[in-house]
Amino acid sequence: MQNTRKVTVAESDSIRIEEAFVRGDEQALRDVYLKHGKLVYTFCRRTLDEARAKDVTQEVFISAWRSRARYNPAKGSLVGWLVAITRNRIIDNIRAESRHLEHRAGNDPIDLPIDSGIEAIGDRLMIADALRSLPERARQVMELRFYADLTHRQIAERMSMPLGTVKSDIRRSLLRIRRRLEPAYE
Amino acid sequence: MSNRNMPSDNLDLEALLRSISEEDLKLLDPPDEVWEGIERAVKPERYATATVVPITSRRRRVRGLMLSGAAALVAMVILVIGIVALRDDPGDVLATATLLYDPENFDSLGLDTAAEVDLVAKEGKLTIHIVKSDLPSPGESADLEVWLIRPDDEGNVADLISVGLVDPANPGTLDIPPGHDPTVYHIVDISIEPRDGDPGHSGRSILRGPLVGH
Repeated sequence: MQNTRKVTVAESDSIRIEEAFVRGDEQALRDVYLKHGKLVYTFCRRTLDEARAKDVTQEVFISAWRSRARYNPAKGSLVGWLVAITRNRIIDNIRAESRHLEHRAGNDPIDLPIDSGIEAIGDRLMIADALRSLPERARQVMELRFYADLTHRQIAERMSMPLGTVKSDIRRSLLRIRRRLEPAYE
Repeated sequence: MSNRNMPSDNLDLEALLRSISEEDLKLLDPPDEVWEGIERAVKPERYATATVVPITSRRRRVRGLMLSGAAALVAMVILVIGIVALRDDPGDVLATATLLYDPENFDSLGLDTAAEVDLVAKEGKLTIHIVKSDLPSPGESADLEVWLIRPDDEGNVADLISVGLVDPANPGTLDIPPGHDPTVYHIVDISIEPRDGDPGHSGRSILRGPLVGH
């Protein structure tokens, strides 16, 4: 058992891309888009119609690129930062649209309870994304724990693993997921 | 940014993990035009010092002509400004710029629009007066901003200053910040600026043209 955090190949790859992105390497923008464009677009599409989802996805990457100097890799993941930008853009977009509709209908402005629902969608998409990025065994353990709702002991039996390994896999995975979420909550 | 705190402990994260549905696991592919739009918006940076579409790209063929014309113009406008300053005659039009859309490099919002602006000396101040325009609305979360660009010898953007925001419905007159010579900063540019707190040029120009002395 090793307790110190190992950097996986996939993770060191992301770090390299993120550093190049911050330096202003255009190829890295393409790489970042290929890596996270689906997540950003899916988030938009879950909350906006297709035309606006396309616009907002575009805006998110353009504005992330232009303000890349403000992204600090030491503070958290690029995906968390992108999702935070996406969430704010979606909320702005929906607010602007609802103001427009209210204006046309001649109604008083109402505060739509949209924000928390949108944030929850972003959170869940980002967690699903983080699960996909886990090493295979850890991902299986997490799925058994949180989808199938098995106990630690049941998972240990199912996967023929020591109980301690199951627990440490879960603990490490939770930390890893949390780290990906962090910049979204600044 | 939201003021919401991050989930304070593992219980929140675990609750979120349990709430993940099949739908959350399904990722959608963005249509190709999304990347194309990003690339279009970002590409001009390669050629310009600021994140602004370079001037050369607009009229490559007439660039030489334009630059030698610009040099003559500089001398002419300085002369005119001098005379006007001496006369202190309010409201004199010193130069005019016809602003045009560049389909290759500009934001598509500028498509089918145009504007004409005057450089006006009025009460000791220099202003940009928008004479004619059919400026498009930039939407609810953006503004249109007028800039003056100083090009370098190559016709690239060497420096630029903001002249101010313009309301497309009521364009009006904008003061040029003191200390900036419009014979040097002689290219007028209008851009879309998202309200993102970034005071720099967004790189999304819609119209541009050089001031030509009268």
